[in-house]
Amino acid sequence: MRLQGKVAVVTGGAQGIGRAIALGLGREGAKVVVADLQEDKAKNVVAELQALGTEGHPAAVNVADESSVKRLANATFDRFGKVDILVNDAGVYLKSFVIGMNEELWDRTIDVNLGGNFLCSRAFVPSMRRQKSGRIISIASGIAHYGAKEFAPYAASKAAIIGFVKALAREVGADGITVNAICPGAANTAMPRTHRTEEELMQRLRGNPLGHVLEPEDFVGSILFLAGDAASYITGQAINVNCGSYMI
Amino acid sequence: MSQVALITGGGGGIGGAVARRMAAAGMTVVLTDFDHGAAEVVRGEIAAAGGRADALSVDVTQSREVKAMVADVEKRFGRIDVLANIAGGSFYTKRIEEFTWAEWKEVVDVNLKGTFLMCREVAPVMQKQKSGRILNTASNYGVTGSALRTPYSAAKAGIIAFTKTLAQELAPDGILVNTVAPGPTDTPRVMGKEPPETRKQRWSQIPMGRTGQPEDLAEAFYFLTTPESNWITGQTFHVNGGLVMP
Repeated sequence: MRLQGKVAVVTGGAQGIGRAIALGLGREGAKVVVADLQEDKAKNVVAELQALGTEGHPAAVNVADESSVKRLANATFDRFGKVDILVNDAGVYLKSFVIGMNEELWDRTIDVNLGGNFLCSRAFVPSMRRQKSGRIISIASGIAHYGAKEFAPYAASKAAIIGFVKALAREVGADGITVNAICPGAANTAMPRTHRTEEELMQRLRGNPLGHVLEPEDFVGSILFLAGDAASYITGQAINVNCGSYMI
Repeated sequence: MSQVALITGGGGGIGGAVARRMAAAGMTVVLTDFDHGAAEVVRGEIAAAGGRADALSVDVTQSREVKAMVADVEKRFGRIDVLANIAGGSFYTKRIEEFTWAEWKEVVDVNLKGTFLMCREVAPVMQKQKSGRILNTASNYGVTGSALRTPYSAAKAGIIAFTKTLAQELAPDGILVNTVAPGPTDTPRVMGKEPPETRKQRWSQIPMGRTGQPEDLAEAFYFLTTPESNWITGQTFHVNGGLVMP
């Protein structure tokens, strides 16, 4: 088990890609704080982690709220005493054309998706600096690169995450902390179901060079690689896991 | 059955580390190098560690040599699961007006044409298997450019675009094609010609605070052969301690 003795925090860890990541880290021996707005679902994931033979801790958190993130950090240190891996996955995916978009939708998307990265990273970096090691992995999106009609704030927030990751990587590298992003391609999760029929969705998901429908579990391998010792010299990068649907 | 990995430039710093990593994972490794003696040294190290390896001499710019070598490997081992094209080099640092056509061709051919020739011969073997991993080697200079290395920078940028194209062509056959782009790496070749003060200056620009080791690269190459990277193709992995973040 590659992550035995490590402590991970996964925001947005209660469902979809975040849940798959939390379980993937747990399968490799990490203890995992499952941080999510939906505490009930976080508790379910913790039960799954326990069934895998590791420890988990459910934490109710709004990543766009400073005091809530502070409580998350305190709960993490109280329970496990340290943090080695932070996965910033919490995000919202709200639909509107730019023309006519209300400001609240814009603010909420940017605050949760981008601001959450900032607040959570700020909360956990000091302890990573003290232990001279750490892994921060942010979940961006292919949409950061190719945009998406009616999802301008989402696209902007995900592209901004990549910029944030690069800047933070430069700040904390000397302390042995790497900071990277994963850009998932369109995946079979609840998110795209908010605005597509099942048929539209499956057609779109299969429309990549490998002809494979990406599932949440398909991103776990890259997370484990970046979280482990093997990737200690990779930082400031955005790794595209998208079946070749775009190549930059 | 053991996977078979064919590695060009296997006698060099990065190539040797990749070969050792693949062998440690249980693959049968076929090392090729222009310098047969260098490949033989790595083969010996792998064998001494209990791994399986063979060392061959090949000039990757010569299509007939490449064709014969790949046919021989297929005949002897029955399959090729991984092709790592690592043979390459910048060879010269000089202003463009000083580059001769022969020097330009030499650099472009070893890096870019060699990659093409190897892929052209190995891809049909992988197509028959309906699986395979091709790993090409670029450089951060393929993205940023590097003064006094025009042919090298051009060739490495070319490898990135070649990789994307080949990834699209071979995806229906279950073959993944990716590029690893090393940053400054402590290989004997680089360390042999770089003054310590230059190294120190370069070191200070790298966010992770150290230059890369061949083993750092080897881990990225190895990751791209595992099931954990099943859904990654046409991409460029920059392993440079944060020096370049494209």
